[in-house]
Amino acid sequence: MTLILNGLQPIHWTLAGAGIAAVTLALLFGANRRLGISTGLEDMCSLVLPQPYFHRGAIRSGREWRLPFLAGLVLGGFLSAVLSGGWTPTWSLGMFDSVIGLGPVGKLVWMFAGGLFIGFGTRLANGCTSGHGIFGLANFELPSLVAAVSFMAGGILTTQLIYRVVFH
Amino acid sequence: MRPLYLVLGAFFGFVLSRSGAADYNYIQGMFLFERFQLYGIMGAAVVITAPGLWLIQRRGRTALGAPVQVELKPMTRGTVVGSVLFGVGWSIAGMCPGPILVNIGEGKIYALAALAGALAGAGLFGALYARLQRPFDLPVLKAASTGK
Repeated sequence: MTLILNGLQPIHWTLAGAGIAAVTLALLFGANRRLGISTGLEDMCSLVLPQPYFHRGAIRSGREWRLPFLAGLVLGGFLSAVLSGGWTPTWSLGMFDSVIGLGPVGKLVWMFAGGLFIGFGTRLANGCTSGHGIFGLANFELPSLVAAVSFMAGGILTTQLIYRVVFH
Repeated sequence: MRPLYLVLGAFFGFVLSRSGAADYNYIQGMFLFERFQLYGIMGAAVVITAPGLWLIQRRGRTALGAPVQVELKPMTRGTVVGSVLFGVGWSIAGMCPGPILVNIGEGKIYALAALAGALAGAGLFGALYARLQRPFDLPVLKAASTGK
């Protein structure tokens, strides 16, 4: 199955896994940084929100690496597009278009709603697929196993509900 | 140091983009048990990272000789509830936090709304932290100048 991006074939999962592992290990071995993305959402909030929570030590000390790293994620996506047939803005959303079929405004609302769950949920759980799913599991941390089982369960139930029950 | 993080992030973002981790169809495929790709990616990442983490922590020092200190994440009631909520959002958006940013870079316009929602959700969490702290057994917020 091709990617939505420029109809590409994805790279093999072993290569992708190795690439992710390399970044994770480079961050720790090179800079004593624990891979994590969702804390970056709080870093971004800290730029505009005054609550003490966003100015606690973990944010003030971590922002200096996470903000450039997250900017890098955007850059990486951009390079991926440019180097594979070009960058074009798109509304294309794969099977969502054929099964759910909301237009641009609907998609923006849908995505905002999804984002709310992601932002609130990852911070309540203190981690996401990177912090818990990759680093936490690889470090044999029990809270991360609990987190991973829970977020997979949440995702499976929701997708099954959407694509097997509501829109089928 | 900052260029290092930008470069590592760009490499990570490129891999996420090309692997399907940022692709709506591949995420749904994972949750529908129709696509192995994402299970393979996460499984391979964990299996390869684990011995590396063990070796680095056993050595106890970074490449430049600074002490390695991995801060462990505590188990709270938020771990389960928050993760389930995150999973719901991951399914709805077809992306998790890293892929939201990758997709913005790729030009997927709707990913901007996902980011806006994620920031709003994180902002809401932070604003409510004092009220959520006890019910969810979250770490107590210390003074702004120290720790969590």
